[in-house]
Amino acid sequence: MIRLTCCSATRFCLLFMALLPALAYSEMSPLGDDALADVSGQGGIYLSGDISINEMGGPVQNNYFGRCDEADKKCGARFAYRLKQDGGWMVLDEIRGMFAFEGLTLRVRSVDSGFGGDGALFDRDVIELGLPNVVRFSDVQFKIASSSTPRPTDPGFQQTDIFAVEMQGDVIMQGNLLVFPDGTP
Amino acid sequence: MTRNLSGILPLSAVALSLGGYSMITAADLQSLDDRALSEIRGQSGITIETDLTMTADKLSYYDDGKGVHLEGMRVGSSEVPGQGAFHRTRIDIGSDAALNLEYLVEDRRVEFSDIRLAGAPGVSMGGIFFDHSLQGTLTLRQQTAGGNGYEFDSAYTMTGGRLGYRTNGNSVFLDDITMSVEALDVTLERVGQTLELTAPRVTGSWQVGAIRYSSDPAIYGRSTDGNGDLLPSYGGLSGQYELSSTTDISAGGRAGEGLRFDNETTIHSASFLYHDDGHSLALRDITGAYRIQDLRLDVDQDWRGRPAVALTLGRMEGEFEVGAIEVGSAGKSFGAFNLSFLLEDQVFGGRNYTNALYLQGGGHADAGAQGLRLAAQWSLRLSDLSYTEDGNRVIISGLQSWGQGDITVNVTRDGVQGGTRFYDGLRIGFEGLEAGYRINGMRVGSDDAPLQGGTELLLALGIYPAYDFTLDGHMTLGAGGASGEGLTINSDIHIRDGRAAVIAAPYDEGNGEQPQKGLWLTDMTYDGHVRNMTLDVTDEGLALATEESWSTMDIGNVRIGNGVDGESLGRLKIQRFEQGSTTLIKPGGAGNVCVGGAGASASACSASGGEWEMRGDEGVTIEMKNILARAQSSEKRNSLLWETNRTVDGQGQAVNGSGTRLVLDNIYTSDGGDFDGDGVDDNTYGIQTDLSVDVYQTRVVKKENGADSLGVNGARGDEKIMDASAPQGYRYVSSPSEADRLNRPLGFAVKAETRFKELTINNIDLVHPVGGAQTAVFGAVLQNVNIRANLTATPIP
Repeated sequence: MIRLTCCSATRFCLLFMALLPALAYSEMSPLGDDALADVSGQGGIYLSGDISINEMGGPVQNNYFGRCDEADKKCGARFAYRLKQDGGWMVLDEIRGMFAFEGLTLRVRSVDSGFGGDGALFDRDVIELGLPNVVRFSDVQFKIASSSTPRPTDPGFQQTDIFAVEMQGDVIMQGNLLVFPDGTP
Repeated sequence: MTRNLSGILPLSAVALSLGGYSMITAADLQSLDDRALSEIRGQSGITIETDLTMTADKLSYYDDGKGVHLEGMRVGSSEVPGQGAFHRTRIDIGSDAALNLEYLVEDRRVEFSDIRLAGAPGVSMGGIFFDHSLQGTLTLRQQTAGGNGYEFDSAYTMTGGRLGYRTNGNSVFLDDITMSVEALDVTLERVGQTLELTAPRVTGSWQVGAIRYSSDPAIYGRSTDGNGDLLPSYGGLSGQYELSSTTDISAGGRAGEGLRFDNETTIHSASFLYHDDGHSLALRDITGAYRIQDLRLDVDQDWRGRPAVALTLGRMEGEFEVGAIEVGSAGKSFGAFNLSFLLEDQVFGGRNYTNALYLQGGGHADAGAQGLRLAAQWSLRLSDLSYTEDGNRVIISGLQSWGQGDITVNVTRDGVQGGTRFYDGLRIGFEGLEAGYRINGMRVGSDDAPLQGGTELLLALGIYPAYDFTLDGHMTLGAGGASGEGLTINSDIHIRDGRAAVIAAPYDEGNGEQPQKGLWLTDMTYDGHVRNMTLDVTDEGLALATEESWSTMDIGNVRIGNGVDGESLGRLKIQRFEQGSTTLIKPGGAGNVCVGGAGASASACSASGGEWEMRGDEGVTIEMKNILARAQSSEKRNSLLWETNRTVDGQGQAVNGSGTRLVLDNIYTSDGGDFDGDGVDDNTYGIQTDLSVDVYQTRVVKKENGADSLGVNGARGDEKIMDASAPQGYRYVSSPSEADRLNRPLGFAVKAETRFKELTINNIDLVHPVGGAQTAVFGAVLQNVNIRANLTATPIP
């Protein structure tokens, strides 16, 4: 199995933990840049930028999907899945929004010191995702629904919208997400 | 009239005019009778005209008792079988005692039907033919500047040239070659025991009208088929050059008899163009230099005791610069490339590698008796490759490569022979090729900039930062693209014992070699198949279209840390199956981009909170359409498998298939319905991705207060500014000025857009080693997706 560990816990990390309940989590203290100077296996990349989903709409043009300036059409992405053969479909519908971030880092490093003495006991290599300080959410939205068919254009399509989510603003994400193997591979 | 004079004079003149490297072959001369002498014209010399026909069953070269035989040699007319080639040579002695030759050769063909090695009966390297007409001059005189050798000036033009390679009745040849060469003040002298040839200035231009393929044994040395139609073409080539060189030739092979060559060449200017139906891919403003030391030619045996013509190299180093790589009529450029390299013996992985090529007969065992087998070993000790676009430069530093194995070359035709499937074209085969490479890191700006990480950025181009493997299989290059000229590629590749880095730290940070830590794909096998992939140069760029491709990558262990025994995340198996996928690679990057905001101008972008970036005219844009097809068989399907908790065998190796597996099976794209009424959902849109990559300055901020990993102080949120006067080459600035912003760190800027109409995962299964498969998700469908991203990726130390 893979174990994800989040040092300097953040809302983002907690979200990860919530989504992946099987993954173990332990509290660790932040490792500053100066402490990283003692870490072997340096190098990696620093990522910044923005990602938008269906900002102007998607590629499908039919009686359900269309451009975002068409009031009677849905312009977001749609994800449907079912957990039972011949059953109904759970749907995330009208998925849209933009995320902007600065300073997401990726590298592999050895943790063999620090962390209040836990590092020396740990003494392993990890993949480190250095979380960006701020992630800006702009008009991020989706809708939870249940549907009779995966495609809204299928015959007999019926859908019940359960609730909608909209997110706006900055999310503070500090610290690192560490990924390392655990258990029998 | 007697015109059958064996042509030592014109032959030698041509040989010398071609660069002076050829040995002068002697042939029996016949006496000229009076009537023949009356045909010789010229007031200030003599003119000799001949129709030359020459045949020889075998020409042999022996080295320490081991021979290589050129069989079925023939010299004659290329246009009229059985007739001689017309030669005319005017010979004059100048007032400075120089020998002046003017020569004309019309439609001459020189050919060998087979090249064989003693000790390798029944197989040959194949046949070669060379057609040409020549007109030129050669002036030869005693060296004047203190030497005891010769000086000569040579200039010639070749037209109507064809150079072909033929195996088992199939041929590939350069057609319609024209070439002009001028070499002045060339000296040839003996220095000690060495013959030294010095060419202070050689200029030339050349053109290959087409590279053609024929699978008809009756079509030999002709441009057209039986119906008079032109044979299919790979496209044409052209170029020009100006260079100077010194070549030393001495006796003595790597062992006993043989030849030794040493050479120094400087390329002052050159260009190389590939033409496809009127469109061109141009490498312009090429400059460079290289030095070859201790290149030996022997007739010998390879490391497996097989007879071979051996080319073994002591050392070669050099550097090449390509000023611009352009495609299309608009002259848009990808940017500039620079390559420096050193080929020299080196120990990799505890094993000594050298640079050697052993040429043998036979090729692929099932392709027929004729073919070429290259037992190769190489050792690229060090290389740096840099890419510059719009003045911004990144360097892939410390590239090393090593390998050993057999490469086969055959010209093949479509069909099954001896249980092996062959395709029309030039087949490059790989047999037990054990090879690898690794990259130390990246540098940005200049060669002496600090070594940084970031080689994982190359994954965007499908290149692992480090990779070693054993390779079998083939790639067959057929003639003709999607329309007209171009390439059609069929390949079957099998990789075993693969180990590839997805993330890799440097192998040498200046304190000697160290194990590369990273994220590794180990114990990997890969089976990849491509059918009818066409490659064309269009006015926009390089266009690839694949009829069908499928592959299985089975990664025994995904390891973190050391690539040999790092801890494993388990097994990963990725299967891909595509039909009708296309790729277009275009010069030019993203242009002007608003990062983190929206707006078509700098002010509008800034007002929306974004960063306006002008990334220039150069760069690379890749437009891909990947059509994932529905599963057709256990091999032809798109799936993803992750397995853990495997049992181990007696050697402690995890046994694949013995653990618990998560399988995402039968993943495919669709247009979202059956719109053409054929009863099957349409699948023409696929996953479309537009990717623009630039080398560009980017904003990098400090994430923590205090000193960073290199001891440079700054506060959280400060911006990193490159400064050559700073001890570590950079400093942190809280409020960068306009001048500071011009010195932001360089990295890769990627503008991407991915869109698809529908992507389906048919089922997600959990497989227990005892309980079997249980479906967890009975279908997942993602529709109407458009994702845009503006990302900058900067190497970090």
